[in-house]
Amino acid sequence: MNRQSTTRPNGVDRRSVLAAGATGLALATSGCIDRVESAVGQETDRLALSITTVPADGDREAVRIARQLEANLEAVGIDASLDMRSRSEFLEAVLIDHDFDLYVGRHPADFDPDFLYEMLHSAYANESGWQNPFGFANIPFDDHLEAQRRVDGEPRRERVATLLEALAEENPFDPICFPEEHRVARTDRFEGWSADHPESRHGYLELEPDEDVDRLRVLVTDSRISRNLNPLSATLRERGSTIDLVYDSLATEHDGDLVPWLAEDVELRSADGDDDHVAEATITLREDCRFHDDEPLDADDVAFTYRFLEDTALGRSEFPSPAPRYRSHVSTLEGVTVESDRELRLEFATGLEAARRALTVPILPEHRWREQVEARVGNAEAFTATQGQWGLVTMDNVPAIGSGPFRFESRSEREHLTLERYDDHFTGREDVDLPAVDVERLQFGIDPGSASSIERVANDGADVTASMLEAHALETIPDDPAVDHLESPSRSFYHVGFNARIEPFSNPHVRRLVAGLLDKSWIVDEIFDGHATPTATPLPEEWEPEELIWEGTDPVTPFFGADGELDAEAARAALEDAGYRYDEQGRLHQ
Amino acid sequence: MLVQVLLQLAVVVSLLTLAGIAVVVGRYRLRDTRREWASRLRAATPITVVLAVVLLANSVARQVVPDLSWMIGWNLTWAIYDLEGQFILWLQSFETPALTAFFSFVYIYGYVFLLVFPVVAYFALSNTRPLRELLTAYTLNYVLGLVLYTFVIAYGPRNMMPELVDALMYDTYPRYQHLTRQVNRNTNVFPSLHTSLAATVGVLAYQTREVYPRWAIVAVPLAISVAISTMYLGIHWAIDVVAGIVLAYVCVKLAGVLVGRWAISDRFDVGNPLSRLR
Repeated sequence: MNRQSTTRPNGVDRRSVLAAGATGLALATSGCIDRVESAVGQETDRLALSITTVPADGDREAVRIARQLEANLEAVGIDASLDMRSRSEFLEAVLIDHDFDLYVGRHPADFDPDFLYEMLHSAYANESGWQNPFGFANIPFDDHLEAQRRVDGEPRRERVATLLEALAEENPFDPICFPEEHRVARTDRFEGWSADHPESRHGYLELEPDEDVDRLRVLVTDSRISRNLNPLSATLRERGSTIDLVYDSLATEHDGDLVPWLAEDVELRSADGDDDHVAEATITLREDCRFHDDEPLDADDVAFTYRFLEDTALGRSEFPSPAPRYRSHVSTLEGVTVESDRELRLEFATGLEAARRALTVPILPEHRWREQVEARVGNAEAFTATQGQWGLVTMDNVPAIGSGPFRFESRSEREHLTLERYDDHFTGREDVDLPAVDVERLQFGIDPGSASSIERVANDGADVTASMLEAHALETIPDDPAVDHLESPSRSFYHVGFNARIEPFSNPHVRRLVAGLLDKSWIVDEIFDGHATPTATPLPEEWEPEELIWEGTDPVTPFFGADGELDAEAARAALEDAGYRYDEQGRLHQ
Repeated sequence: MLVQVLLQLAVVVSLLTLAGIAVVVGRYRLRDTRREWASRLRAATPITVVLAVVLLANSVARQVVPDLSWMIGWNLTWAIYDLEGQFILWLQSFETPALTAFFSFVYIYGYVFLLVFPVVAYFALSNTRPLRELLTAYTLNYVLGLVLYTFVIAYGPRNMMPELVDALMYDTYPRYQHLTRQVNRNTNVFPSLHTSLAATVGVLAYQTREVYPRWAIVAVPLAISVAISTMYLGIHWAIDVVAGIVLAYVCVKLAGVLVGRWAISDRFDVGNPLSRLR
């Protein structure tokens, strides 16, 4: 294929003209005009691929993986290039515009394997957002995705194993490794580090400040939280706990279990055999909860949230406009019944395990979001809310009004976001069995460098680094009793994603062949300095079938070569077997 | 930490400037300056105001420019890397801790000194033309630089080759990142404004070599060091530096023309303005 096929039809002319002009500009300044001519004269059916990724400031490991892949693609005769974009532009290209050939990135994953449903179900292949960015559509695979949702326990484990085997076969994305999460924290102002994952609701709640300490100084490498607080934004949210701190959910995940949060009580049970649904839940909300604007939070807000995530236009648009996040969370729901101010009944089309994720979505204030929808739709007769892209899911939502333990205080773009304790939050009540918030203020400062973040914590300029530190900077962590080095495993995984909508990655054989150009062990050793675990599946070991367990090498798509050295001959032969041909200069054509 | 870095910078640059005044400017020019400062200030005020406005507008525009650039979408990173990625690697192969320390110092302190000192030195001249040309050239650099930044998105070598660029200043001296991110965004590397401003000072220093021979001896090598430091530290590509030099040349030429045309106080100057210096 050529690069133009990834561009949308209406964008081709403008883009190629701009690109031609831009290349001319770059070349003219260096005086190498002859290279332009040779590029123009090239045959057009040469296989050209562009790898989309973020720059080193965004993710140093990702760009290194991408360059390694680029070198190996070149070695097998493919015209490969890198398309480097800022973090939000990267997600825009991959999740919203689907304007990519392949990308290197990190998926946030989740505590339950059902996130794969969202990632891979063909029903979402044409939607924008975190749902199915690959455009992957495979009917037998959909069946696997659905089968694992309906059951629990051992039967589910078996179905997930089958799903993972099919996934390895089809390879719409190729998982590379799970990085270790490293952070540093000062111990002389706060106690309670490392009791929980530092980047979680419980992690922040359990901190105990010393006397006279009124704020927690948190460093993040990513400036996006200072620019946007919309819980639905696909391009400005991926990891991080800000939304969890500002908004509440019915339940929250803690050490792999779901514990009641906004709900005082969650009774999740299997349905009777003759019911249509598989599971159901009775939810009782905590008494007298309020949003940060002092409006009461009741069962209607919860019901609204589920309806709204299904269709952010609330039926006012010509077509429904599902949110670009939380897509599979709400797809488990079959019915929501408000029984009283504080009681709801939820009916699920899935088993108990898969249903749990629905309880973790942020509960949004109906009065504010409905008003936003009305303001945007107005009196228009025919209104289209472009799914994943319309104003409501892209607006900055500042100040964010939730009901969570912290409320928005102030922000300065690319400088900081400051949250203050919400004193009326239920965690502060005596009869609630959850840790109360002791710290008055959370100040998220933006510091793009891992090394400079560590230095700031060491010099008492900050208390903790919330973003995961990059592997290369870990050796600069000082050996200081006042600085704690926190380490936790990660669910998130690095992967290469393929655009299955277009040539050549509509062909699963090519996806697997390209996966064979990645030496995952070498990547972990060299790029991550060993601070990662190579993997053949996107799920942790307890879900992996035996055939897919990593034993020194990738069990499905082993590397063509060893120790990072590519055996180009072997890879080229495999590509020829797949129907590609080489010209006399060793360039790959389709 | 930013305050600390800024303070350090202010102290070092002040000391260097004081030393420069003693060595380069000399007693007699200082004496004259005490007498004539008011009239010189009047002559330089218009362009100083323009420069101040441009700098303010620049700092506001930099918030918007990156979004605009992504809309325009000229991402040249790959084109540049493909063309000359090897050059930066070659330059990096000379890496030693001492060189890294030297170039980091030049990149931060040397650069600011290079920009600040000629303002002081040219102010100490009875003829205000070099001062006005300098300030005009600074203004043009910022205006034209911003236009190019708007059109071109490019990430520097450190963002593309984090592993090979060994002498990354932000790894060796992470604190400087707080300073540089106040003034620049990582997509704005084409052209190198560090290079263009340093080269502007270098060219003007060469033009005024008869008045300030010692300054020319300091400024030209320092300007060259600044240009090299941007590449050695993995911040700019060679293409950015070449573009910076071209930009500097354009700005100096334009400044010469503009100052000649609009300067009221120079109405009666005849011939080469430099001949009337001293």
